[in-house]
Amino acid sequence: MSYESPIREPLVTGGRTASDVTAEICRPLENKPSKLWWLGFTLSIVCLTILVYTLVRSSFEGLGLWGINKTVGWAWDITNFVFWVGIGHAGTLISAILLLFRQKWRMSINRSAEAMTIFAVFCAAIFPLFHMGRVWIGPVWALPLPNALGSLWVNFNSPLLWDVFAISTYLSVSLLFWYLGMVPDLATIRDRAATPIRKFVYRFLSMGWDGSTRTWARYEVVSLILAGISTPLVLSVHTIVSMDFATSVIPGWHTTIFPPYFVAGAIFSGFGMVLTLLIIARKVMGYENYITIGHLDAMCRVILLTGSMVGLAYITEFFIAWYSGVQYERYAFLNRMAGPYWWAYWSMMTCNVISPQLFWVKKWRRNPNFIFVMSIIVNIGMWFERFVIIVTSLHRDYLPSSWVMYSPTLIEIGIFVGTFGLFFTCFFLFAKFLPVINMAEVKSILPGKAHSHEAEEVKQPDLVTQ
Amino acid sequence: MANKNKKYIYGIYDDADAIMDSVHKLRGQGVEIHDCYTPFPVHGLDKAMGIKRSNLTIGAFLFGALGCTLAIVFQLYVMAADWPMNIGGKPNDGYYPSFIPVTFELTILFTAFGMATLFFIRTKLIHGKVEQLVDPRQTDDLFVLAIEEKSHNFDKEMVNRTMIDGGALEIRERELEK
Repeated sequence: MSYESPIREPLVTGGRTASDVTAEICRPLENKPSKLWWLGFTLSIVCLTILVYTLVRSSFEGLGLWGINKTVGWAWDITNFVFWVGIGHAGTLISAILLLFRQKWRMSINRSAEAMTIFAVFCAAIFPLFHMGRVWIGPVWALPLPNALGSLWVNFNSPLLWDVFAISTYLSVSLLFWYLGMVPDLATIRDRAATPIRKFVYRFLSMGWDGSTRTWARYEVVSLILAGISTPLVLSVHTIVSMDFATSVIPGWHTTIFPPYFVAGAIFSGFGMVLTLLIIARKVMGYENYITIGHLDAMCRVILLTGSMVGLAYITEFFIAWYSGVQYERYAFLNRMAGPYWWAYWSMMTCNVISPQLFWVKKWRRNPNFIFVMSIIVNIGMWFERFVIIVTSLHRDYLPSSWVMYSPTLIEIGIFVGTFGLFFTCFFLFAKFLPVINMAEVKSILPGKAHSHEAEEVKQPDLVTQ
Repeated sequence: MANKNKKYIYGIYDDADAIMDSVHKLRGQGVEIHDCYTPFPVHGLDKAMGIKRSNLTIGAFLFGALGCTLAIVFQLYVMAADWPMNIGGKPNDGYYPSFIPVTFELTILFTAFGMATLFFIRTKLIHGKVEQLVDPRQTDDLFVLAIEEKSHNFDKEMVNRTMIDGGALEIRERELEK
């Protein structure tokens, strides 16, 4: 039915059959969580508590608790907003763009990457919402409603409003895509359920799915169309985030290169986070036959490509600043490189431009420990990128008398640490209660039944020797 | 009462290729396939069963067009008709490029949710529905071929033989109230 290439490595190793897939992927759901899970979950809850504490204080006492000031009005919060939104780009990219390109290696990583996307967007949303100060009324200001006094509406010319639409559409469509993809697997769990509560919950969630081919046929059409519309959506989200900056008149922000540069950076950081999580998950949950070294290799190649694009963008930006002849633009870039925040700039350059180039070496691309360290470096680098873009452009503006330095307060650091708590709490719950790997899709790419015992022997290069 | 119930005959397989072959053979004999239940989408099985390509794409397009239109009309109403704002003397009486992002996002939003809603209606999937399974393992690793007994050209003996020869592990019969 499907052709198996003797040259490409198998996507699922270890001669797994369909029932092995079900049993292995359902195992964490059906058993008590391990000590490691409890340890991670407790740590996440502690961080989540910090988030709640810092946000409550920021709401009741006001944004004076943050380090922002008259000159640097956007700093830590928007840095973290862009950081988290960027991380939220890998999931839909994997499930949508790789589906359109028929990249079957996406199938064992798309579920967890999509989950990560959704949790990252939750984390991202916290920052602009709380930056509005009065969070109990703030979200209403962003809705397209006339105000209470007359008919003064939101301003559709504002990129900040575009962002509201982009992020909320992205979040809701990603949730839909994620849930729709999960329905068949939820049915599998339902049919294995041993306790009435489990049966009830998964029956509710799986919507009466029975695997009918008539349903599958429509399901495939829906998946394809969703992938088709999610592809421009995922590219539009970070494009619009970049327009928050690019449509302004601030030197260092007012650049047409921002949209592609931000999108490449977002994919870069998103894959960094996917690798961080999956390298741990495959080890701890024993999914090494599903998320193989080949999968890690493929993701490293994406990192190498997008990292190089980001590097090219940095250099282009620099060149154009000089070539434009605008003194403010030139100063902004010199200030980034050699000003008081030089360390942030050079951290960004090292982490994002130099380090991904190490992935040209195949041996390193296939070494999980090395990749894990690199994925952390990528995340640090991408955080610094946003910090550099936002803070260094603002802290020395047109008027030297208003030049200031910015440093985060403990409350701000607490909010950032806290969002990691929220992210990981969600992720640990996901890993416990939902199937981390898309069982139905993985079953469809298993080597044919007749060949299942030969899976390890696929490497024999018959075609090459003949 | 008996004639109100529908009788089905089920062949249970453990191999996607086998069920595909049986579907081809039965269709060749002129038997109508009621449905196949599989743990994963078996590519080509829908075509083999004679299912036409879904029209959901048309629905998706219409929802997309609706979202797009609503976004354009609403932005025009807000920005040009109801409360035109004077922003540095820039024109504010029509549709401008700055309205494109929101138009785009709403098009996507309406397409996605409209199409998903149509999908759930069309496939009769809804929260709280109790599944009707032939075998609990049909969502795990078994494949079920279902044929209605009163369907066109139905010959029980022949159908049974074709399914067993085609590699079915067992044959089941069931009556469902309709």
